[in-house]
Amino acid sequence: MFDPGGTLEELRSDVRDWCATHVPKDWRERQRGVSHEALVEFLRWWGGELREAGLLAPHWPKEWGGGFSIPEQVVIAEELARAYVPRNALYHVGIFNVAPTLVHSATAAQRERYLPGIWNGEVWCQGYSEPNAGSDLAGLQTRAVRDGDNYVVNGQKIWTSWAKEADWCMLLARTDPEVKHRGISCLIVDMRSPGIEVRPIKQAWGPSDFNEVFFDDVIVPVDNLIGAPNDGWAVAQGTLAAERAVSILEMTERLRCNGIEAAVAQAATWRLEDGSMALSDSAVREMLAECYAEVHALRHMLNGMIADILRGAEVSATSSIIKVFYTELLHKLTERVADLRGLTAQLDAPVLACAGWETGEWMNDYIHSFGWLIGGGTNEIQRNVIGERMLGLPR
Amino acid sequence: MFLSNDERDELRSTARGLLARESSSERVRAAVAEPAGFDRALWHTMAELGWTTIHVPADRGGAGCGYADLAVVLHELGRAITPSPFLASAVLASGALMLADDDGIGGELLSSLTSGAALGSVAFAGTDGSYDCARLTTGWQSAGSSLRLNGVSGFVLDADLAAVIVVAARDEDGAVAAIAVDTTTPGVRIEQTATVDETRRLFTVSFDDVSVDADRMLCEPGARAEALFGNVLALGVVAAACDATGTAEQALERTADYAKERTQFGKPIGSFQAVKHMCADMAIAVEASRAATRAAAEALDGDPAAWSTTAAITSSYVGPACARACALGLRVYGGMGFTWEHDSHLFVKRVKLDESLFGTPAWHRRRLADSVFPALVAS
Repeated sequence: MFDPGGTLEELRSDVRDWCATHVPKDWRERQRGVSHEALVEFLRWWGGELREAGLLAPHWPKEWGGGFSIPEQVVIAEELARAYVPRNALYHVGIFNVAPTLVHSATAAQRERYLPGIWNGEVWCQGYSEPNAGSDLAGLQTRAVRDGDNYVVNGQKIWTSWAKEADWCMLLARTDPEVKHRGISCLIVDMRSPGIEVRPIKQAWGPSDFNEVFFDDVIVPVDNLIGAPNDGWAVAQGTLAAERAVSILEMTERLRCNGIEAAVAQAATWRLEDGSMALSDSAVREMLAECYAEVHALRHMLNGMIADILRGAEVSATSSIIKVFYTELLHKLTERVADLRGLTAQLDAPVLACAGWETGEWMNDYIHSFGWLIGGGTNEIQRNVIGERMLGLPR
Repeated sequence: MFLSNDERDELRSTARGLLARESSSERVRAAVAEPAGFDRALWHTMAELGWTTIHVPADRGGAGCGYADLAVVLHELGRAITPSPFLASAVLASGALMLADDDGIGGELLSSLTSGAALGSVAFAGTDGSYDCARLTTGWQSAGSSLRLNGVSGFVLDADLAAVIVVAARDEDGAVAAIAVDTTTPGVRIEQTATVDETRRLFTVSFDDVSVDADRMLCEPGARAEALFGNVLALGVVAAACDATGTAEQALERTADYAKERTQFGKPIGSFQAVKHMCADMAIAVEASRAATRAAAEALDGDPAAWSTTAAITSSYVGPACARACALGLRVYGGMGFTWEHDSHLFVKRVKLDESLFGTPAWHRRRLADSVFPALVAS
């Protein structure tokens, strides 16, 4: 069981040793192409391993099982990424998005009610996007109408990851139809409530971990409101910068180790169509070196952002820059390495769903990478944020 | 002792303030129109403020701070596209002499640069602009108690201002030597090369049976001298990257301001996403370049064995990113951006020179592959 407060060197070597003994060497081969149900079962097992080790939520407050400093979180993220452990995908929303929002905006009673559940393996989903409200949340149409001690929710959500497995949903719903940008509230919805229907959506790269969710007269107790009524958008935005920074740091380390460095090692065994070794080719070497240099630039930006967070500086525009930089580098790397594989890249099916964004099946990874260009706020919206918040350009 | 964050902020703000006045667009344009090509009064002010010796150890007459501190000044000189022998003398020549760590003539020359009595430069590219030591176009041979140089070095910064040039030369066996040549030595000829970027001045330096004393050899010829020039190259790469980042940052700020003011179709052009996203792309390149150059300058304060890889990583990303940023900036200005009167072309030209001044990004990417790939394949 890992505890905060030791030296960073000890923590690093302990996490490394833990990974070496707790991550089955052949997990990738075993998980490739498995059913959705088998994937979920595997992710529940993996979440349990992390929980037992005390590594499930290092960024949480100590009383809830975390308490690791940001430098400690960085060390843990680095070691998990470098050991190529499975991504803790099933619990990511609960641990990285919902919990920090609860810590920041919920009442003490709500924290007592929900945080232990997240720690113990309850699955959460996030009901934000709708068919008519993707990038523009002002177009949100799902309604929550007050009726005594309850809200009655009607509407539809989309792109909701893990809704089928979720115990709870952090939902944004309109409580005041008169005002466009405000008038949205943040509610916690029991996913077993009558009136909820979940329909999986198969994604472009194969898996079906995201869904449509329909709400038909779903009763939600008023106690499940997070923050003030009509203040849901601000609640959902929260102060999540630090969690996001460490989370994307882990992805950056994965991109470095399992993406670019793995591509170099693999390219050493590949031949080009003329029979020459891929890694002896000047164009291939330059391409891979370019990506290698960019992942270093990204890591330096993250280090800078984490230093800013530790100083208490505003980093919202920087996190948009990092999102764009990371996702476009991932996209570029997977596209170019898939291109390098030529026709043999077509032999990459079936997919490995929980290994992160770089599984070494480059054509699958390339298709998967579109998800990140679009999700989490499209890169076009991020560029608007950079232009408006950082550079002060008019809307 | 490195500067604290507060001290670095203060240095930055002093530099920015001084250069905004003394290296404004008008002053830069006036300076490059003069034969000397730079503002001597400004150079003296910079030397008096101690900028040229920030990174020189205290026992060599400097401030004893680090390259990470010097990087602050280099960034600001790039912001103001200041024409100045700073890069040639304070970074390359001083750097070469510090790396040679020679108690004889090298130490004396370093003192003369540190005190501001003289300027220096380094000649270590071939006439085709290659920094590959195997392709040097200047040769040396031993002739009793003296050394003889013959050949031509290309792309030497501010050679006409330099009292001393550290020359990279090869003998017939291919051994590289680092030789400090006094530019008044008979047989040394210095000719300016007209360059597209007018804020930097490059020269061809020819050696016609130039004879210098053997003690002008700064270190043992061969591997040691080759490593020295490799490290001087790394200093140059990181310095040019800091410069390019400063220039791109200036281009970004001015372009964003323009996009807020200029109206078309009844709106500020910065409200159009096509323009807003060009500005955002500039901001992404500038932010990443700032982070990359800060880390690179910090690495120069560490083990020189790692400098070469640091430089290769830096050149691979920063040069092209800053060049793209400045190119986008020019386009946001529309027709104005294409005029001589407007500064956009000065920014583009400065960063394009920075990008390849110490080897092209493509070459550095191949060097990076050579240095880091073998370990990845073996593991």
